[in-house]
Amino acid sequence: MYLTKDEERIYDGEYGWAKQVSIRILVKLGDLYGADRLIPIESAHISGVAYRTIGDASIEFLKELANSNAKAAVRATTNPSSIDTMNQLFSCLPRNVIEKQREIINLYETMGIEITLTCTPYYIRRPAFGSHLSWAESSAVIYANSLLNAWTNREGGPSALASALVGKTPNYGLHKPENRRASVLVKVEAPLKSEADYGVLGMYLGEVLGNRIPVISGLRRRDEMCLKQLGAAMATSGMASMFYLDENYVGERSFEEEISVDDKSLKASYERLSSTIEKPDLVLIGCPHSSPEELKIIARYLEGKRVRDDVKLWVCASKYVRRNADEYVRVIETSGGHVICDTCAVVTWLRELGVETLVSNSAKTVHYAPLLSKVGASLSSLEECVKIACGK
Amino acid sequence: MEILLKGRPIVPGEARGLALVSSKPLSFLGGVDAKTGVIIERGHDLYGVGVKDKILCFPHGRGSTVGSYVLYALAKNGVAPRAIVNSLADPVVVVGAVIANIPMVDYIDISMIKTGDLIEVDGGKGLVRICRK
Repeated sequence: MYLTKDEERIYDGEYGWAKQVSIRILVKLGDLYGADRLIPIESAHISGVAYRTIGDASIEFLKELANSNAKAAVRATTNPSSIDTMNQLFSCLPRNVIEKQREIINLYETMGIEITLTCTPYYIRRPAFGSHLSWAESSAVIYANSLLNAWTNREGGPSALASALVGKTPNYGLHKPENRRASVLVKVEAPLKSEADYGVLGMYLGEVLGNRIPVISGLRRRDEMCLKQLGAAMATSGMASMFYLDENYVGERSFEEEISVDDKSLKASYERLSSTIEKPDLVLIGCPHSSPEELKIIARYLEGKRVRDDVKLWVCASKYVRRNADEYVRVIETSGGHVICDTCAVVTWLRELGVETLVSNSAKTVHYAPLLSKVGASLSSLEECVKIACGK
Repeated sequence: MEILLKGRPIVPGEARGLALVSSKPLSFLGGVDAKTGVIIERGHDLYGVGVKDKILCFPHGRGSTVGSYVLYALAKNGVAPRAIVNSLADPVVVVGAVIANIPMVDYIDISMIKTGDLIEVDGGKGLVRICRK
């Protein structure tokens, strides 16, 4: 891999250990995937913030970086943590756990990384059209590539952090136009109604596609909420990092495979994913974190209703979105729901928070919650979720 | 008897030790205890075995990218393997070996190596030498 004079100096340690170890990570990954050089990025989005997921092991490395004056070279944002410190619901968690989470956040902050604690950094600042990014968080990666035309590989926590400190990423994979061509045509024949149905389609496609890029035709709804659920689910069940809507695809239309998706395949996918839950402890909306528009829709459903006393309703969003949607937050909270920031059901301690069963409109949450927290999970549309929370 | 295997250099450094070989991919996050270096993934063929000071040979890593940090913690806690030998390196283990400074080689036919073999690894040249009596 070609390195500039300045990059070589970083590699040899002239700018300190933190930058050196970071560029070594990037060069090794570049070598592994056949990159020719490093390219500048507009921003990095870093996963590996939630203490629940990363545990004590990572704190050691973050400390070492922070102690050697690591500083972000480009704008960098963070994925959710395990706790919403502003919400009383989380104060029942053990003190040492809350301390550890705070320590991790402080370490990132010391490195000049923005403590956004959200999986939807694109609602805070939209990456420029055609920009190169180094983003972890698979749902944000597929969203950026597919809906924003911002180019990023599916990074992990360490490589995104290394990119943030160097301001560059190795030039391979989805940073190269020739690798952004679609190779599969997906024809959706099943009628999809809600965003939850789009999640089921995503789970199905993630499994059959591997890391191939599809052009998807036959989708009736194309609103952002549905497409976000589609992408998040594709990235959950598979290695997908990108899809095209039929009308947006201008590339060569020579596909190695055509896949028709009928009702039957989606039904099977839904049944594998979702359990039957009579009365959940938690109704979870906002995975990936909600947009202002979604908060508006949720508020409209909740207007004049009351969340049952024996059910919790969480609506997850970033602090930034919450701050800019006062009016809808008020409606949601007046009805007895909670607008939760900085965390989500996938990365917190559900059982310790009294949750054994949940219903969500997010296929990603319904997939991960049973695996990570051993809770029962069922998939329903947003409209149904609100009905379940409030009693029909 | 000596067998010399030529692979791809990943992380430079030389190491000598006893091989610990698994035919299964390994997830460091949730799979290896960062304090003790013991493999804690149920159902894994090395379940309950410590990786400390071993030449750890397995096909490739899997699972969360946080696994890289676990390799770093193993090194910090003095319970890391002396070297890593993979069939095909994956990003999680590569990044972990880079930050933990553990010599690493891939493109090696793991089935040639048996647990307990005395092994020499040259991470800079991509060489694995099996020394059997």
